[in-house]
Amino acid sequence: MSRAARPLPWRFVSALSHDLWPAVPNPDGAFVLALLFQLERTQWLPPERLRELQSQQLDVLLRHACETVPFYRARWGRAPDAARLTELPVLTRRELQENFDALRSSAVPPQHGGTAESRTSGSTGAPVRVLKTALEGLFWRAITLRDHRWHQRDLGATLAVIRRGVTPGESPSWGAATEGLVETGKCVLQEVNLDVETLLDWLSRTGAGYLLTYPSLAAELARAALARGVRIPGLREVRTLGEALDPEARALCREAWGAPLTDMYTAEEVGYIALQCPEHEHYHVQCESVLVEVLDERGKPCAPGETGRLVLTSLHNFALPLVRYEIGDYAEVGEPCPCGRGLPVLRRVAGRVRNTLVTADGRRYWPHFGSRRLHEIAPIRQHQFVQKDFESIEARLATDRALTREEEEALRRYVLERLPPDMRLTFSYRDEIARAASGKFEDFVSEVAEPRPVRPALQ
Amino acid sequence: MQSALPGAVWPAVPGGDGAATFALLQQFEDTQWLAGEQLAALQLRQLDVLLRHAYDTVPFYRKRWNGSYDPAATLSLERFSRLPRLTRAALQTRFEALKSEHIPAGHGRVFPVATTGSTGTPVQVLKTALVALLWNAFTLRDHLWHGRDLRGKLAVIRGRIEPFEAQSWGPATFGLLETGPAVMLGVGADVETQLAWLLEQRPDYLLTYATNAAELAKASLARGVRLPGLREVRLFAELLDPEVRDLCRRAWGAKVTDTYSASEVGYIALQCPEHDHYHVQSEGVLVEVLDDEGRPCASGEVGRVVVTVLHNFATPLVRYDIGDFAEPGGPCPCGRGLPVLRRIVGRTRNALVTADGKRYWPSWGSRALLEIAALRQYQLVQTEYGLVELRVVADGPLSADQQDRLRRHLLASLPPGMRLQLRHVDAIGRGAGGKFEEFVCEVPAP
Repeated sequence: MSRAARPLPWRFVSALSHDLWPAVPNPDGAFVLALLFQLERTQWLPPERLRELQSQQLDVLLRHACETVPFYRARWGRAPDAARLTELPVLTRRELQENFDALRSSAVPPQHGGTAESRTSGSTGAPVRVLKTALEGLFWRAITLRDHRWHQRDLGATLAVIRRGVTPGESPSWGAATEGLVETGKCVLQEVNLDVETLLDWLSRTGAGYLLTYPSLAAELARAALARGVRIPGLREVRTLGEALDPEARALCREAWGAPLTDMYTAEEVGYIALQCPEHEHYHVQCESVLVEVLDERGKPCAPGETGRLVLTSLHNFALPLVRYEIGDYAEVGEPCPCGRGLPVLRRVAGRVRNTLVTADGRRYWPHFGSRRLHEIAPIRQHQFVQKDFESIEARLATDRALTREEEEALRRYVLERLPPDMRLTFSYRDEIARAASGKFEDFVSEVAEPRPVRPALQ
Repeated sequence: MQSALPGAVWPAVPGGDGAATFALLQQFEDTQWLAGEQLAALQLRQLDVLLRHAYDTVPFYRKRWNGSYDPAATLSLERFSRLPRLTRAALQTRFEALKSEHIPAGHGRVFPVATTGSTGTPVQVLKTALVALLWNAFTLRDHLWHGRDLRGKLAVIRGRIEPFEAQSWGPATFGLLETGPAVMLGVGADVETQLAWLLEQRPDYLLTYATNAAELAKASLARGVRLPGLREVRLFAELLDPEVRDLCRRAWGAKVTDTYSASEVGYIALQCPEHDHYHVQSEGVLVEVLDDEGRPCASGEVGRVVVTVLHNFATPLVRYDIGDFAEPGGPCPCGRGLPVLRRIVGRTRNALVTADGKRYWPSWGSRALLEIAALRQYQLVQTEYGLVELRVVADGPLSADQQDRLRRHLLASLPPGMRLQLRHVDAIGRGAGGKFEEFVCEVPAP
């Protein structure tokens, strides 16, 4: 057990007739803490031991999937054991979309609690539907608390949330993960579709200790704050999710507010996938809840330093089991973490297929330009690069004024240096570049990064 | 950890009570590192609830605290320290009046617990499922602190029990954590029988009384018998002579871990994972160590242990003078904020008392004593203010030289002016609970 990172004392809520210290929480809360207690230990286990434990859980899941899920029964024939997981075909997003009913378990253990449907925002593709159980809700809560512990949050502070789909206003607690279990400060919420100046004014009035939003928006807010000299004195940390993180966002938040940025990688279909290490800027896979494979184009596991497709197996979803689900994101595998945790490392999450640049010979790139550098070259407010075909890129720009020829040329040189050879660049100007319906923003989109060939769903 | 949920093998989702135990344990993992003032503030919160409950629902306290407790006033530790103490004698005689008239239903099943009365008249209290839950959580903390491998085999030698084999270590782990088996033997068996049993059982852990562990270790050393698998000797219920640690290490290469608990209270203090002293279990009890004037003892002073049990709402024990004496220590270098007891020196009846009312806890070193003469058993009994009797069980008469050396060695550890008398006896029995006391005072304090 590490004593290095002692969390601030939390005030737990007792379920008994009166206040009690230490608290005896309500049954769900007790489960969450029982899980958290285990998570506090499993994080330090060596990778081999973690794989063994994952395999124990995986065996049960695979048996359940084969016995009660028509899709898997038809595909696998008989239940594979955990050691042969990597020989199973992957489940594509498309397959998940088209086989929702065949992927449902006919016998969800009643002890896993009620089942609820949830769907992805469809920000970067058609939405997918999944089913989740109350048990998964407990894991989600426990991992949320782990994230709070890792980053030593003061739960008594105010949390400001700027996301799509929230009802603007105020809520007395941080949300479902802590509700009825730990006392927290209030939460103030705001819709993402306001302009950045309005959002910044709102944020500076909230007195928030924490901001939770998309990384691109955090960067925009920080830039605006720097430009106007808006400080947010109480802000301790910016928490981000939902998009591939531009490392520049970290520097911007630190510069604007002196606040560190902590990113997390989650997906509606599986919950938490990876959380930022308490001591480093990379991510730890939440392998007590999800088994993550990172595969190269030939389907072989990537070595540290290589970027590949993410294939996920959700270990506790017995309602709609996701086994080797190819979520459509790419990530770079990292070396074991010097922090001592045995949880596997993702050095970065590079985003979706549609955020990759593809050349005619099938190579993939994750172009990165850095909004700050672009801004230094020309008065650019927003930018988005779109790959139109194998040779050409369109730079969509929203600028404060028309750019000079020199600025365009400087911009062209800067961008082309960061692209594979023989690409062409054209400029187009807009008043504004809108976020996707999900509220997320993509600064690179490829119209030709075709999805990998889709296998026929069921033979 | 064992899962109560089909399909969830890892991590485990334990059954209702198990989840609550781990929910407490998870909190303990953090609270142990809190600074002393932070812990005290949290204790005060709980104390406030307890005192209101005791005042409102326990006839004994309602009457007793009349004038010294004001539920309308903000509670402070200073106000708390002005409440009268509850003596052991009062607990013995006023059991009914100390029962709460309204035990909160949420605290679960209510059941009686009686002490063995090994070292005094027995006392009885009511406990609740909540109290048991805390007991289990502290037991698990003790396992965690001392890095025990729960898959190992536990041998228990205690009390008057028949030999017994169990699949698990006991109620704290049952149905919650997978453990190895536990085997049990009564402490009545002679040391040779015990040793043969241990050799046959090959346990990883031995749980017994300090004096019994010492006898076993001495017998092992004398016969050159090793207990190869034995990793740790866990002690409870008796005063620990520091020499026992050394004996167990020499005999078996095993470390010794002591606990300080009492049946009417629960855990009071557990041995620090890194040191030989004890940490008060502040999440369950508030411990005061008070001098003769009722003032808190400074580090290094020996005083009375006064315990308040924070979660017993059935028979609330508030400022309970348990009859033990202990020496508080300074902050622990391990970093835990839980208060330190450097040593527990025992009960009033284990203290030598002089005519002017001063108490002494003599320490003479049994090893040096046994090097003088091969005594099978011995016990020191104060029979008068100025007189201590050395009762010995020996194979033959002691030589004049041995007698003289024993006398000189022991007198050096007693206050000046004491006389020592030697008496041969056939046997020295253990108390009713199987506990053994090396020093007993039969004289009332002046």
